[in-house]
Amino acid sequence: MRGLRQTLLLARNDLLQEVRHLEVLATALFFDVVVLALFGVGFGTLRGEALRASLPAMLWLSVAFVGSLALTRLFEREREHETFVALLVAPVERLAIYGAKALVGTCVVVACAAVQLAGLRFLFPEAAALFDRPLLLALLVVGASLAYVAVGAVFASALATDRTRGVLLGVVLYPLTAPVLLFALVATRALIEGHAKAAVYVGQVWAVAVLLLSMATFVFESVVVPIPSGRTQRRRR
Amino acid sequence: MIRILWSVLLCVAAVWFPLAVARVFLDTPIEREMGTVQKIFYFHVPMAWCMMLAAIVSGVAAAVQLLRNSRRAEALSLAAGEVVLVTGLCVLLTGPIWGHATWGTPWTWDARQVSTALLFLVFCAFVLLRTQGAAGTERLAAGLAAFGALDVPVIYYAVKVWKTTHPTTDVVGTLPPSMWRTLFFALAPIAACVAGLVAVRYHVERAEQQLDDLFLARSDPASS
Repeated sequence: MRGLRQTLLLARNDLLQEVRHLEVLATALFFDVVVLALFGVGFGTLRGEALRASLPAMLWLSVAFVGSLALTRLFEREREHETFVALLVAPVERLAIYGAKALVGTCVVVACAAVQLAGLRFLFPEAAALFDRPLLLALLVVGASLAYVAVGAVFASALATDRTRGVLLGVVLYPLTAPVLLFALVATRALIEGHAKAAVYVGQVWAVAVLLLSMATFVFESVVVPIPSGRTQRRRR
Repeated sequence: MIRILWSVLLCVAAVWFPLAVARVFLDTPIEREMGTVQKIFYFHVPMAWCMMLAAIVSGVAAAVQLLRNSRRAEALSLAAGEVVLVTGLCVLLTGPIWGHATWGTPWTWDARQVSTALLFLVFCAFVLLRTQGAAGTERLAAGLAAFGALDVPVIYYAVKVWKTTHPTTDVVGTLPPSMWRTLFFALAPIAACVAGLVAVRYHVERAEQQLDDLFLARSDPASS
């Protein structure tokens, strides 16, 4: 209960910062709009089956890039002001830090996915099929975004610490989150085609999200904070 | 002890593997529909099983490394991770050769192919981080391996969950006895070789860790 309260407090603080400065959201939304414009120009001539097959890829490709952008920015702000280390030494449960970051990251990614979906609906009439089952679509977007951010927040926070910031988040993040995007892609295609098993596919996305979230909570503290052993510094050959 | 283990395993593999090749090509009947090209199955499938097993070993060892700060687990995770690269490369080479002969195209973008390629990429990133990353990236790499191992169930269930060009997982049970016996006969030397390679790399990595500790103790006696 205490952990949940701390999570919500930290998330509220992050969201307040975000509402004041619109740093992450503005960057992500701007990227979203640029990508939409490129999709409009690049795929404007596609019609019918070819376009229906491309729509899931357009949606999740932009979510993948927006997600990594948002996660990088979310932790970069902490690193610039050296508040992440302060958070780690504060009397706050470390899982609450992870929970707050994951919550804020998911909110940003869901917001960007919503804009992307609206844009795709505006640009391509075939995307209207996605909105035939709005509840399933909402569950899919939230589930896939949560799964993506669950993994991303662990590695972005590890990269926010001084010693590892030189390593690219993308190298780590994209191969790991690709299975999530694969599940989301299949579920989105099922929604567009009006497949009878679309709900099952969305359920699979949520199963992956729960699995990744459990794994992330299990390893977060160990990845971000080294366990002191007295011999952790190694000579690099 | 480890040295004896890997020596025995690699010797067994070296003696057994030619026998397995002879059995695959000389004593096992040719499959009616695919013909001689089906023989690649006896190497592709065991290699894929070994790759998945090595990925699980690497992931579990990485989780133990993270939770207990165990140097042994760290060495095992790296050793198994590198073997995932070797076996993964073999799987990704033999698969398209077989696919080209049976499906008419080497790569169909089916879920099992993509998830296998992703597992390979994850462990590429893991080995890159371990070999090129700055000090402190060990934990990050361990997290990567732990998450990467979660891709193994995705590979296994890909043919059950989605419609793919790959045969389903129960295909081995439907094979004639002569074929599945040969499959397990070919699996033994490949598994022995993989286990031997993991043991060799584990041995080398442990030696490197001990060398590092000695170096640190010599350069900063207070830390030892």
